[in-house]
Amino acid sequence: MTAAATVIERAASTRGRVPAMVSAEILKLRRRRGLFWSALVLTLGPILVGYSVLAVRHAIDAERFGPAGGIENLRASVDLFLVIGSVVAIMVGITAGGGDLGAGVFRELVVTGRSRLALFAVRIPGGVLFLVPFVAVTFAGVAAASVLLAGSEPTPDAALLAKLAGSVGLSLLTAYLLAVGVGSLLSTRVATGIVLGWQLAVAPILLQTGKLDAVLPGAALERLEPGSTTGSMSAPAAVLVLAAWSLVPLALGAWRTATRDV
Amino acid sequence: MTETSFVIETAGLTKRFGDRVAVDSVDLRVPRGSAFGYLGPNGAGKTTLIRMLLGLTPATAGTMRLLGRPVPKQRAAALARIGAIVEEPRFHPFLTGRENLAIIAAVRGSDAQRRIDGALRRVGLAERVDERVKTYSLGMRQRLGVARALLADPELLLLDEPTNGLDPAGIHEFRDMIGGFVSEGRTVLLSSHLLDEVEKVCEAVAIVDRGRVVVQGSLAELKTGGARTILLGTADNVRAQATLARHPVVGSVAPNGDGIRITIPPDCSLGLEQAAAELNRSLIESGIAVHRLEPEDVSLEQRFLEITTRLGGSE
Repeated sequence: MTAAATVIERAASTRGRVPAMVSAEILKLRRRRGLFWSALVLTLGPILVGYSVLAVRHAIDAERFGPAGGIENLRASVDLFLVIGSVVAIMVGITAGGGDLGAGVFRELVVTGRSRLALFAVRIPGGVLFLVPFVAVTFAGVAAASVLLAGSEPTPDAALLAKLAGSVGLSLLTAYLLAVGVGSLLSTRVATGIVLGWQLAVAPILLQTGKLDAVLPGAALERLEPGSTTGSMSAPAAVLVLAAWSLVPLALGAWRTATRDV
Repeated sequence: MTETSFVIETAGLTKRFGDRVAVDSVDLRVPRGSAFGYLGPNGAGKTTLIRMLLGLTPATAGTMRLLGRPVPKQRAAALARIGAIVEEPRFHPFLTGRENLAIIAAVRGSDAQRRIDGALRRVGLAERVDERVKTYSLGMRQRLGVARALLADPELLLLDEPTNGLDPAGIHEFRDMIGGFVSEGRTVLLSSHLLDEVEKVCEAVAIVDRGRVVVQGSLAELKTGGARTILLGTADNVRAQATLARHPVVGSVAPNGDGIRITIPPDCSLGLEQAAAELNRSLIESGIAVHRLEPEDVSLEQRFLEITTRLGGSE
């Protein structure tokens, strides 16, 4: 885990590779030790533990328990990663959205004369670039385990891995953008409660009822998953739903950032 | 860069919060290259005015120009050469001093990046710059706030209560720093409720009360703008008091310790020195020996109290 932390920290250190304002956003996220380690433990931890348990079980009783790798376990791992990864994306998004304001530093940024919308907009690439190493390392670990520990099970091909990676990316990006918007709109605590409550409780319950599928991001993501045949909407409609769930909170967050007294 | 003789000009600048008027039709002109005191009691609207100038809150009415540029229309260009400390300077506590400055420099541009080390040296923080800000004392945070303001290579520094919470040594150091900025040709607007502070640092002041600028001008003009007083010591203070009470240039006479305090009314046409000479002549002619005769040094505090008390009494 420490080695992974080093890799991720180096990857997240972007000096000279991205515009200075984006780099500054990443620095603010990277230096929050609590956020950094929470993100690391939550993304990599469950996958490491999950595959370790599967591998040990298979090693102890290969008759009863199949290999840890393979496509079936890959899909299960990706599903788990989507839930936990979205929590991480939300934590990072809310911190990126409201961190400066919460620390009272947003005022100091405004008095530089830089437009408030520019200060808001830079949160998007900043947080995404902070998240990418965590997601990439975790997904690479999942993909490697699914191939290396497959034994006699069928292994995923590159196309399936690419599709799953795209699905994970889209899902976490949607959660992140929603969180940045709400984090810029409300106080950090309220935003965290609302977005996590929505993501972990309200949205899954609504999804179970099947009555609001046409407007739920979960249903849209399911529709866009590789090999999905289910769903009550077309692929373009799913894209529109996800765009709305990202852009509307962002627009509200941008408006609040531009107009609030600081 | 637009060169004007005033770095801040406001006309009718007003800020209302609901029914409450925080800044009331302020016309302010801050001359370039000076230390200008914006003086008023707590709650007088000083911070609100600075927040409007910096675009932290919109004005309800009125116009503003900073460094000759109209704001908010040309806000970005104006603020590019303005540094500010508004109330207590705030930082990300988990970042080092240098990282906090780097974040602001990233927003300001590459020139600001190059100024970080110089700014830190100037405020005496070079030794602790790689420690997290959460370990800094209030004084160190204030100095880091000044370093942050210097990243703009500012023509104008807006400092709102910058000595709040500083110990006497810190205040002294801050005062020297402001003097240094002015000697470099920068303008400093020092907003404070500490009269002594403003009197020691500034050449010109505006006194603000209940959102309104009551008076503004050079410190010397302001201090001589009210009733003028002369302190007198004689061989016979009782007789001197009786003699001077009838004198045409005297407004009032009162005992003052082991002497007498004479007030010359504002409408008296004689200057203070001429009035003193006239009183001296009158006493000598009455056979009263004078061993002390001096204009009273009116402190800014006295003038401030006179002005604000007068206002309070009239409402």
